[in-house]
Amino acid sequence: MKRLRILLASLATLVAAVQLHAAKEVNLFGWSEYVPQAVLDKFTAETGIKVNYETYASNEEMLSKLLGGAAQYDLIQPTDYVIEALRAKGKLEVIDFKNVPNFKNIAKEYTNLPHDPEQKYSVPYMVGTVGIVINTEKIKEPIAGLNDVFSGKYKGRIVTLNDNRELLTWAMRTLDLDINKVTPEAIAKSRPILSKWLPQIKLYDSDSPKTALLNGDVDIGIVWSGEAAILFQENKKFAYVLPKEGAHLWIDSLAIPKGAPHKAAAEQFINFILRPEISALISEAFPYTNPNTEARKLLTPEQLANPASYPGAAKLETFRDIGKAAASVDKLITDLKGGS
Amino acid sequence: MTAIADPHITSAGKRQPGTTGWLLLSPMLLWLGLFVVAPTAILFVYSFCQRDELGQVVFEFTWENYARIADPVYLNILLRSIWYAGLTTAICLVVGYPVAYYIGRAPAQRRSWLLLLVMIPFWISFLLRTYAWISLLKAEGPVSALLQWAHLIATPLEILYTPTAVMIGLVYTYLPFMILPIFTSAEKLDNSLIEASLDLGAGPWRTLSNIIIPLTKPGIFAGVLLVFVPSIGMFAVTDLMGGARVPMIGNVIQNQFGQARDWPFGAALGITFLVLFVIAFWFLHERGEERR
Repeated sequence: MKRLRILLASLATLVAAVQLHAAKEVNLFGWSEYVPQAVLDKFTAETGIKVNYETYASNEEMLSKLLGGAAQYDLIQPTDYVIEALRAKGKLEVIDFKNVPNFKNIAKEYTNLPHDPEQKYSVPYMVGTVGIVINTEKIKEPIAGLNDVFSGKYKGRIVTLNDNRELLTWAMRTLDLDINKVTPEAIAKSRPILSKWLPQIKLYDSDSPKTALLNGDVDIGIVWSGEAAILFQENKKFAYVLPKEGAHLWIDSLAIPKGAPHKAAAEQFINFILRPEISALISEAFPYTNPNTEARKLLTPEQLANPASYPGAAKLETFRDIGKAAASVDKLITDLKGGS
Repeated sequence: MTAIADPHITSAGKRQPGTTGWLLLSPMLLWLGLFVVAPTAILFVYSFCQRDELGQVVFEFTWENYARIADPVYLNILLRSIWYAGLTTAICLVVGYPVAYYIGRAPAQRRSWLLLLVMIPFWISFLLRTYAWISLLKAEGPVSALLQWAHLIATPLEILYTPTAVMIGLVYTYLPFMILPIFTSAEKLDNSLIEASLDLGAGPWRTLSNIIIPLTKPGIFAGVLLVFVPSIGMFAVTDLMGGARVPMIGNVIQNQFGQARDWPFGAALGITFLVLFVIAFWFLHERGEERR
């Protein structure tokens, strides 16, 4: 009997130890090349909470792992339209903003956007745009918009993202259509424009469009602002402009998936990330647009002068989830690429 | 490999395997069951399902995925993929056959060195080798510089991100798969048959077409299969070296499982592809049997 009691007692201690240990970690599932190791180390040093950082290369990869349910994540880093889709399916926890007082540092223009209108499920991490990067040593004429890029003069000198929806959106903008209403009519109207544009594109690359620009294989790109910012750091000849027809604004946020085992630690982590000095540290490593107003004050003039990180004013819009219409977009672009 | 190249031996079914036979076969059967039969079955089920907004598979029966494949958009891509794979196979055969034959007939010492040279690229990651090609062929790369220096071209080389670059990448990737099986056949070739043919008055061309090629046929057949089948579904080379400009069926399928988040359609494409291939293989095999 006594032996049993000892056994039970030690078991209880073990369980308590496991629970204690469990509270001391947080599972972050984020983009690769997005959270500096130094930031994670600082967080652990200060709180004693270990950060298990697992990475993905696309929202779709994240979704399939998250929904596959094999792993228990506490924090994910989805882009706006993915937040919208996850929220609609009840896959996100409501964040307790009482635990995230530093949220006040986030600029108002990045909150309460259509993907999270009440700002209950997500906290902006980094934001960026899709714009035009120009090798000004090769291209002397001014380029202000999408119609300038695809005027026909630069055939075979253009790289764009390999993203069917982006391509369609650019055509829709020149037609002044609502980019988030992907209807069969909108697709039909955009088709003749895209059929003129696509043959002018030399290559499509979403992963590293900067490579072809750096290699001199192309002179103009329509790319993520982060890629353009790195190009500008490499060589000042790479200019960045937001198309005058309007540009895609994307917001990568931190969110907590439903049933996360360490919700409190996750909120603590979000609050930590929102500290100005920590956020500035992230900006130093990865030159995206920092939505944290207080952090921006800590950036160097050189960082703020990067036109791809902090572009001038333009008409900016986020993507909404288009659900099953994606299949028609896929068919349109596949068809047009095949025909060229 | 010999089973593929020479199916009539196994299909003759002269002996039933005993318990020991089954036991010896069991690792392979387990492997086939886990990694061929089970995934194919899952794909088959998925191909009749639907997807929800998040791209999760919804188990509601539909024919729609197969109806979409009949669309000329996807049929054209399938035809183009077959054409590219066929061209790759033809070039690999023309280039690879003499190489394989030469290695197979070379003295033993030199033979192992030559074989090593064919194998070495396999020790380096395929993606790394593809990126190396990109560095070589880029407009400001060494090949372009060399050709300009030699005054063979006036302007920088514009070959990267074209169908030619895709062909270079495909042939480069799959050439060893053509060389190795032909080498195995050529190595076993009985020299006395060639001597007899030459002695009996057949010229070198007749000896080649009547003796050497028929005797190395199993190797050719295996090589053609090993090159044609994987190259038809290749997506990495077309993405990286072709600049994703001309989609192949492999790119379309990959996109369904990635960006498009449409697994059921991707599964339907995969299953259709598999069925087409099985029919083609069965047809070729039957014709081969008839001729005997």
